[in-house]
Order: sequence, then structure tokens, then C-alpha cells
Amino acid sequence: MVLVLALGDLHIPHRAPDLPAKFKSMLVPGKIQHIICTGNLSIKEVHDYLKTLCPDLHITRGEYDEDTRYPETKTLTIGQFKLGLCHGHQVIPWGDLDSLAMLQRQLDVDILVTGHTHQFTAYKHEGGVVINPGSATGAYSSITYDVNPSFVLMDIDGLRVVVYVYELIDGEVKVDKIDFKKTASIHTAH
Amino acid sequence: MPPALMNPLMPPPPPPSVSVSAPPELEGSDDVSGRSVTQKRRFGDLRGLQWRVDLGVLPSESSTSIDDLRRVTADCRRRYANLRRRLLVEPHIPKDGSNSPDLTMDNPLSQNPDSTWSRFFRNAELERMVDQDLSRLYPEHGNYFQTPGCQGILRRILLLWCLRHPECGYRQGMHELLAPLLYVLQVDVERLSEVRKLYEDIFTDKFDGLLYQENDLSYSFDFRKSQDLLEDEIGSHGNAKVKSLDELDPALQTIVLLSDAYGAEGELGIVLSEKFMEHDAYCMFDALMSGVRGSVAMADFFSSFPVAGSQTGLPPVIEASTALYHLLCLVDSSLYSHLLDLGVEPQYFSLRWLRVLFGREFSLDNLLIIWDEIFASDNSKVEKSVDDNIDWGLRILHSPRGAFIAAMAVAMLLHLRSSLLATENPTTCLQRLLNFPENINIKKLLEKAKSLQARALSVDISSPSPLIIGYHLQSKSVMTRSQTLPSETVSPKTPVNLLTDSYWEEKWRVAHEAEELKQDGIEQQIPTRKKGWTEKVKHTLRRAGSDPPPSRIKNGKKESKVVRRNILEALHKALGPEEEAEQMDCHEILCKQENISEAAEGVQQNDNSKGDNSYSSDDRCPSGNTGIEESSSVYSDSTSPPNEANYHEITSQGSSVASNLYLDECDETADTSLSDPPLPVSDHPESNIPQMSGCNNNDPGNSATHPKEKKQNKFQWFWKFGRNTVEGISGKVGAASEPTKSTSSCSNQSNSQPPVSSTTSEHFTSVSSKGDSVDQNVMGTLKNIGQSMLDHIQVIESVFQQDRNQGVSVENLSKNILVGKGQVTAMAALKELRKISNILSEM
Repeated sequence: MVLVLALGDLHIPHRAPDLPAKFKSMLVPGKIQHIICTGNLSIKEVHDYLKTLCPDLHITRGEYDEDTRYPETKTLTIGQFKLGLCHGHQVIPWGDLDSLAMLQRQLDVDILVTGHTHQFTAYKHEGGVVINPGSATGAYSSITYDVNPSFVLMDIDGLRVVVYVYELIDGEVKVDKIDFKKTASIHTAH
Repeated sequence: MPPALMNPLMPPPPPPSVSVSAPPELEGSDDVSGRSVTQKRRFGDLRGLQWRVDLGVLPSESSTSIDDLRRVTADCRRRYANLRRRLLVEPHIPKDGSNSPDLTMDNPLSQNPDSTWSRFFRNAELERMVDQDLSRLYPEHGNYFQTPGCQGILRRILLLWCLRHPECGYRQGMHELLAPLLYVLQVDVERLSEVRKLYEDIFTDKFDGLLYQENDLSYSFDFRKSQDLLEDEIGSHGNAKVKSLDELDPALQTIVLLSDAYGAEGELGIVLSEKFMEHDAYCMFDALMSGVRGSVAMADFFSSFPVAGSQTGLPPVIEASTALYHLLCLVDSSLYSHLLDLGVEPQYFSLRWLRVLFGREFSLDNLLIIWDEIFASDNSKVEKSVDDNIDWGLRILHSPRGAFIAAMAVAMLLHLRSSLLATENPTTCLQRLLNFPENINIKKLLEKAKSLQARALSVDISSPSPLIIGYHLQSKSVMTRSQTLPSETVSPKTPVNLLTDSYWEEKWRVAHEAEELKQDGIEQQIPTRKKGWTEKVKHTLRRAGSDPPPSRIKNGKKESKVVRRNILEALHKALGPEEEAEQMDCHEILCKQENISEAAEGVQQNDNSKGDNSYSSDDRCPSGNTGIEESSSVYSDSTSPPNEANYHEITSQGSSVASNLYLDECDETADTSLSDPPLPVSDHPESNIPQMSGCNNNDPGNSATHPKEKKQNKFQWFWKFGRNTVEGISGKVGAASEPTKSTSSCSNQSNSQPPVSSTTSEHFTSVSSKGDSVDQNVMGTLKNIGQSMLDHIQVIESVFQQDRNQGVSVENLSKNILVGKGQVTAMAALKELRKISNILSEM
């Protein structure tokens, strides 16, 4: 059983001062094994903060990131799942499922995590999942000002992944859960 | 399910036919436990089974039928299985099939402590903690305990127990209590399969066909472990061939019936089953920790709060440690007071001993034997009438098992007795306590513990608790005035009997009893002893008179003297006419008598240096006390404030000088009265050595070595000068350095002498302590002593020569002359010393 935290588009300090307090109190060290971050942190301090939650941190580069050494895309394997990571501003049209599916095929991953739109979405697509964790701080995007802070926690266990979605709506944390099972056929197809 | 493990370290199971009928010899002699002999024999060779009965997991009545045993076993296992199902959380699997309704509560990041996920994380944390300890469990038996299967079982059991008892939680050491339990179960199972193999050989032709038939039909799809298969074989066979079963050894028959898969409760009821080892181990562990229907619950030893209903208000383990010292005090008061002197409190070592039931002190094989005894002792409270107005002080002493545990600890202390008495500071003392020797005679230790157990049980009846609390509180301040403690703690506790009024006679009786307990050991050590009995009486006598010297001051000198005299007279009667010479001495001054016997011992028992030292340690001081009027200052000089020190020292020195005159006389008389042709000259040094060590052991302030005292004798007339000039001498310097110091100060010249002499006295101590610990090779030790004496003499000599060179510039002429004289006499003494050492080294 592995817990993977996925978040992105924090835009600290330009568009938001910090993570919401409720999120901060929930995110404690010791529980999470990996963090994947889609980018736009945007400063080193946020990177350091994430490191305190879990030392195994994977970040791709957003267009506002100070640190230019982050890669554009990144793939990693956790358990039986192959995860792909990309900020998403490179994929046009922004947030389009077909374009993202193309990237998913390109990277050859089971789970693709992208950001940039600041809207939580999760699609089951072609035996894989495409997830956008939204903005963890609720920062405005170039598309909309109406953004709820949200992030995603994935519980990967064997061939099964449970996606917990944490969203802050009107000061209350709302949790949702999406079950996803990787079928053996897909695994053999690769 | 753990893999079938064959442990090469495991003691090979004895051939079944032999051991089944003969129970382990150690179990034969205890009648403390209530079990009947037949019951003992019932599972005598199956240790795990026996423990389960002893711990109260299985019914202990001998009338219990096999079926009942199986039923109880099955119930226990069911309970454990339920517990495991309930408490071991798997957050991924929804418990009741449906999704948890409240995701806000049940998610991995939930802060709600009741949520499945936070329980899961708590368990995981506990598991990590347990794992940390488990990974270091018995590295020497790693090929069993470090296997993943075994670790998994241990981890689950510990986890479940801790979850079940959240008030206790996991504490380091619990795993070491559990591991042997699992181990014996494993041994049992292996032994069972051994028996089965044998059994199979006999009947192999008869159910071979049956086996294959069954295999073909029903077992082909599910080829389970051969173990289970064999169980089924025997089961079917046992049912089919009852007649042949009856012909078997009854014990073997029991085994077969216990493992019959078709008996009561079916497979779940198989009393010895590898499959349910985990369940059984949990039940045993739980019974051990919670102390089913008894007073000794191991879990208490891990808690830091007093148990409800505790009289002392102390944490149980501290209370048990107190009980341990209490018992030690009764059995061996000199060792007790020595430990108190050093400020070694019982919990420093007993925490480690008690919490894992000596698991760290003994090898696993020995540990199992010890646990056999511990568990064999009944854990139920001893029935005593409630209305006899006795407070329940020390809970551990209430049940035979607790008493045995305490007695075991005391036996271990007594085992280390000589080396403990030789220690000078708490650190080395604790080092010896915490590094218990590995190669010991476990049987002897257990016998000792058993004899102490009976004593501990009888002691408890007459022990009022408030005093024990008082003792404990006092023992906190042990460093300051430890000497007075024994008298205060012991006197009320000793049973009231014939000699009602006199405290000292009671004291003597206690010491005497303790002595008798030790007689065996002593006599074994000294087979060639000439006057064993009278010597022993004298030992006890001396100890009786001398044990708590400071309190004598408190109680009044006269009374103690009278008692002493009484005891001495009793000794006269006991000694009989054949020891005229010694009696004569007895009629003389008391200290003389003691020193004579001392010297006599020194002559007679070259090989008993241990005993001599320890006794003379007590001996030395009271001889000053009773023989001479102002002798109390010998003791008071270590405690008196610095400004008084000067006066006290001088008086004490005076008194010790006086006593030394006696000593010398005594030595001479001893030499003459006791004709010991082989080594006539060596009488002198030998009587010196024990005394020296005794002084060092007992009172650092009084650590004057005998040769020094001699010199002191001759310096006696220097005191007039010394009194004026000796100032600011701390009590710490010690009497040994005082004579030389006073000479130096009166001569106004030597700065280097005091340190030198003090170091020499230290050297003597170390030497004598060395002599203490080595019993068998006394000759070698004596040689060492002689060698080191020679060394020290050379040092002193060189110092004196230096002084002579420096002494030219001293202004006072008359004093200079005196100094010269002192040096001459000192040189003479030193020469004598050298002679002694020469003789010694020749030996």
C-alpha cells in the first residue's frame, strides 16, 4: 500500500499567500510515501515545504517556476502502476482530454497527472486515468477566477488505485473517492 | 503459517520412549506447587503443553479429560481468531461490504482518531516499534527467531496484545517474554512429529494403503503440509485401532489423543498443532502478562503506575525490587548492607531481571529450565486470614510464583556475592550485576532459589508494609547514612519469638540462619577444614555483634555489650573443653578474642580468603567499638562535619592505636596458642591481609592497613606535636594516610607523603579485593599480594629517603631529631613488611 500525494499550481507567492490552513493541518509527515507535483510552485520555499512532508518529491516545470531545472515531463513507476507527470500548459487545447490522452500514450503511462487549468478533473480513459488535481491554493488561472483549492491523494495497492479528492468548498474540506482497477489485460498488452 | 522449521540449535528431543516416562528431574522436588505428581507426569516431556497448564490457559485439574482440554484449546483459538479479525485493520477492504458513508472521516489524511485510517496508521507505527525490537531478538538463535514466519507471528501477537491492552501498550522487553513461549511450542510440535515418525514406523504397513487411498480421493486437490496429513493419518488410525493404542505407553497415548484430528472440536482442538501455534502463543502470552487468577502479572512490571490496591503506592516493579532487597536483607545482611553502602538500589538491576524474567541473564536453554520452575509455582495468592491485621505490603511475595521470582533474583545476587562484596564503587558493582556470568550451575541456582522461596513466603507473613515504604524512602537517601538502615528495616520484620526483648539476639539468629543456609557451599569449598563448626559459630557470632555498628551508638553501648557477652558465653558452652586455649582468650578482652580467631582462621583456612575477608570486614570495626571506650569516633569521623574532624580523628587514631596494641598482642598470642608447624611465620601476614581488606571494604575512612598501624603504634608519642599542626584533614583522606601525614606535618617537611600512602592503601585494597574474588587459586593471589607489597614498600622507602634529603633545611632541631627517629622506626617497620612480603612470595 502506497500513498501518493498529487498537487500543483500553487502560485505562491504571486497569486496566493500559502496553502489553506485546513490543508496544511491535514498534510502531516509520515503518511505519504511519494509526492508528485505538476509545477508552478513557484518559489523554492514551497519546494522545501513539500520536502518536509515527504522526501520523495517529483516535480515538473510550470511556466512560472523559478527553478528551471525541473523537467517538462516525468514518468515513475509505483507498484504496478506507471505514472506520468506534466504541467499541461504545453498540451493544447489546455485540459482537452484527447490531447491529454495523446500525451498519455506518448509517455506510455497508466496514470497521467497534469495541471494548469486549476480545475479538478479525473477521467478514466482507455484503461488508464487522466487526473488534474487542480490548484492546491485555489489560485486564479488564466481561464477563471472561480477556483476551489483541491488536491489528490492516490492509494495504490496492487492492481487497484483509490483516488481521494480533497476540495475546500466554503471553508469545509470535501472528500471524494474514485476507484480504479487496472485490468490484467492492459498490463499484458504493454 | 510459518514454514516447518528445524532449528539446529534446538536441543534434540530425547528418544520418546525414555523421556515420556521420566519427567525432567528438576521438577521432582518442588511441593510448593499444588499439582499432583501424576499431573506433572502427564505432560512432563511436553514443555509447551505443561506451561499452558501452569499458566492457566488449560485447566490444571488432573481429572480433566482429553476432550475437555481440546475444547478449551479450541475456545482459546477461536477467541484469538476473532480478536485478530477485529483488531487488525485493512483500510482498503470496507468492513461491512459497503463503502464507508462518511468519506470526510474515513480518508487517509483524516485527523479523526477513530477512523479506520488513523487506526491503521497507529497500528503501523506500533508495528514499526515492535519490528525494531524483533529484528534484534535472539541473534544467536537467529535461524529460528529471525525467519519471516516467526517474526510475523511474534509481530502479530505483540500487536494484538498491545491493541487489546491499550493502557499498557508496547514496552521493550515484551518480545523477549513472548519469544520463549513460541519457542517451546515449536519444540513441542517438532517433538510430536518425532514421535509420530516413530509411531509410523511401527505401524507403517497397516495404514500405508489407507494413506494413499485417502490421498487419491480427497487430498489430491489440496496437498497440505505433511504435518496435517500425518495428523489425519494418526487420527484415522487411532480411531480404527483402539486396541493397539491401548497397548501403547499411556503418555504416548495422550499425545496421540491430543493430536487426533477427529477428537472433540476436530482439527481446531488438536492441542499440539503447528497451524495454531500463533493462537496458542498468544493465549500463553496473555495469561503470563495478565497473570490469570494470580498476583504476579508481568504486565504490571511494565507499567509505571502503582496497581490499584497497592499498599506501598509504588510501581509494581519497584515494589518487587524492594521485596527483593527485603529478602536479601534477611538472608544475607552483610551483602545487603554492602549494596546499600554503595547506593546500589535494587531497581537498577532488577528492572532488567524482572521485566523479562531473567531472559537477558541466561541462555535460552537455561532460561527454559528457570521458567519451568517459575511457572510450576502456583500463582494464586496464599490463603491467609484477612483479620489478622496485617497489611499487604509486597504483592510479589504473596504467591509462590512471585516468591520464587524474588528468591531467584536473590539467589543470583548470592551467586555473585563474593565479587559484589569486593566492589568499591556502585559502577563496578552494577557492572557485575548486569553482566551475569554465563556459565553457571543452573541446577544449584534453582535449588538455592527454592530454599529461599519457602523463606520468602514465610517472611511475608510478618512483614508490615509501612516499614517497607519507610525503607524505600530511606533508601533514597542511602548515600548519606546507609549504615543505620539495616537495623531499622530488619528489626521489626524479624518474626517475634523466644528472645523477645533483645534486638541483637534476634539479629544474631537471623544471621545464624542465613549462615546455615550457606553451610553447604562453604563446606564444599573447604573440605579440609579443621574446626568447621566452631568457626562457623564464630562467624555468625562476630557478624551478629558487629553488623550495624552505628545503631549501637544509638541503642546504647551497655545493652549491646551485655548481649554480646551473652552470646559469647553461649559460645563457650558450645565450644566445649577441647578448645581451652581459645576459651582463655575469650575471657579476655572481647576484641582480642575475635582477633585471635581471626588469626587462627588466617592460619587454618588459606583457601578461604573470601570468607575471611567478608567476615573480618565486620569484625574489624566492632572490635574497636566494644573493646575501647571512645571507639565510636572510628565511625563518626567519616560523617562528622569538617570542623570537628580534627578532634575526632585524633581520638579515633588514639583509639585505633590502642586497639592496635591489642591486635599485636593478639597476634602474638595467636601465634603461640595455636601451634601450626608448617608455616609458623606466615601466621602474621595472613592475619593481616584479611583485616586490611576488611577495613577497606567496610569503611573507607578506616582503611588503615595493618603494617601502617604498627608504625602508628610507634608513632604514638608524636601525637602531641601532630595535634597542633594537623588541620583541615578531610575525612576522605582516610586513617591510612593520617599517621604518615601527622608525622610529616609535625616534621614540617614532607608534602609528598600523604598522597603516596593513600595510594598505597588503595593498592592494598585492590590487591585484597583481587584476593577476594579468587577463591581456588589463593596461593597465586598471596604471591601477588606479596609482590605488590614489596613494590609499595619500595615506593615508601624512596619517599622517605627523599624526605631525609629535604629534611636538612628544617629549622627546628628537636623536631628534626624526632623526625629522624620516626624515619628510623618507619624504616624498621618497612623492613618487617619486606620480610613479610618475601615470605609471602616464597609461598
